[in-house]
Amino acid sequence: MLVRNEVIFKWFLYALAAVLCLFVQTALLQRIHVWGVIPFLYPLLAAIPATWESPSSGTIFSLSMGVVCDLLLPGPIPCFYTLVFPLAGLFSSLLAQGLLQAGFLCSLVSAAGAFCLTDGFHCFLLWLNGRPAWETGAFLALREFCVTAPFIIPVTLLFRAVFCRTHAEN
Amino acid sequence: MKNFLKEHGLWILFAGAVIAVAMAALSFFSVTSSPLVNMTKTLTSPFRSAYTAVATWFNDKQNYYRNTTALEEENAALRQRIAQMEEDIRQAELDSDENQRLRELLELREQRRDFQLEAALITEHAVSNWTSSLSLNKGTAHGVENGDCVIDETGALVGIVREVGVNWCTVLTIVDTDTSLGAQVFRTKDLALAVGDFSLMEENRLRLEYLSAGSQLLGGDVVQTSGLGGFYPSGLVIGTVDVVQIDDSGSASYAVLIPSVEFDDLTEVFIIKDFDIVT
Repeated sequence: MLVRNEVIFKWFLYALAAVLCLFVQTALLQRIHVWGVIPFLYPLLAAIPATWESPSSGTIFSLSMGVVCDLLLPGPIPCFYTLVFPLAGLFSSLLAQGLLQAGFLCSLVSAAGAFCLTDGFHCFLLWLNGRPAWETGAFLALREFCVTAPFIIPVTLLFRAVFCRTHAEN
Repeated sequence: MKNFLKEHGLWILFAGAVIAVAMAALSFFSVTSSPLVNMTKTLTSPFRSAYTAVATWFNDKQNYYRNTTALEEENAALRQRIAQMEEDIRQAELDSDENQRLRELLELREQRRDFQLEAALITEHAVSNWTSSLSLNKGTAHGVENGDCVIDETGALVGIVREVGVNWCTVLTIVDTDTSLGAQVFRTKDLALAVGDFSLMEENRLRLEYLSAGSQLLGGDVVQTSGLGGFYPSGLVIGTVDVVQIDDSGSASYAVLIPSVEFDDLTEVFIIKDFDIVT
């Protein structure tokens, strides 16, 4: 079991890894268009770290990521990501604990779930505003996931490194 | 870890929920942007400017070494266009003098448009695939307010300021799904509503809705802001009619508009901080 200082250090490293990903997203990926979409790392940051953690701590980390995203990104409602990302984190963590061992495959499935939740909620809000676009939304979500999927590998490696570093003695 | 979460997990979750609710409430009541968002984007604004400066430098270098033949051809075409426009200007000056004389004869009030403009650099293009937005490097410190119109160097409408902070603002372009503008067809004077449509947003198109039953739009018709209600200035070019279609219900028609602005090529825009239209 980790002592308090180690817990703080672990979450500090997780936050640092997330900041690195945010830097890559804002400095580089936002300027790259593939199939008309930009790679979107934010749902990965909500899903992948949670696969290495328990449902409660994974959900809390995803909630924090949601708050950060709401501060940085325009959304259809003010707390869009704060509402969606904890669900994505909870799903990922439960998946890793119950069905798939944390790793690349688990990250892929949990990222797919995170994109489904995020983009599904986008479509739902469009429908709620009387401008349904389910087909266009689904196609966009598919392309967004396909373009972002290659980044699952480095993001998984990064967060796995943090997990291994902080749980080395256990 | 379990003990830590047992002791503090509920409090952390509660704190997160309080932050989320506070953000929502602050955003709802704020006329510019919520304080947290303002602080975050104010702090990150210099970094966005730095990334953009580096990216622009690379693009400039890349463009510099591109095929010069294409540039020479473009130069020749632009010279011809300038000659044509100079001819048009001469004609316009004559027309303007004639217009002035006729106005004086008819004792009409002079029509003029006074814009107070603020030049701004684009620090960030779209940050997600679900919105069409731009981040600019000017904010409340420069007199920018929510709802201000943003135009390009030709006077074509780029979008509307949606959120504003100390040294930044976010502009929703005219193709974004949250944009809705009173519009007028220049040729027919028909009034309508130009709205963003998610299905068309990716192609950089928007819809012209609520057309009158007898409207006879043609491809290429210029559509501009109507200025009705006084929220936005009139006469800002939104775009041109691409095609007229019947909506899903089959009872009404709408037009697909091509914006006059090339959003991807924009680097500098002008924010209309204040306007005064006398007709």
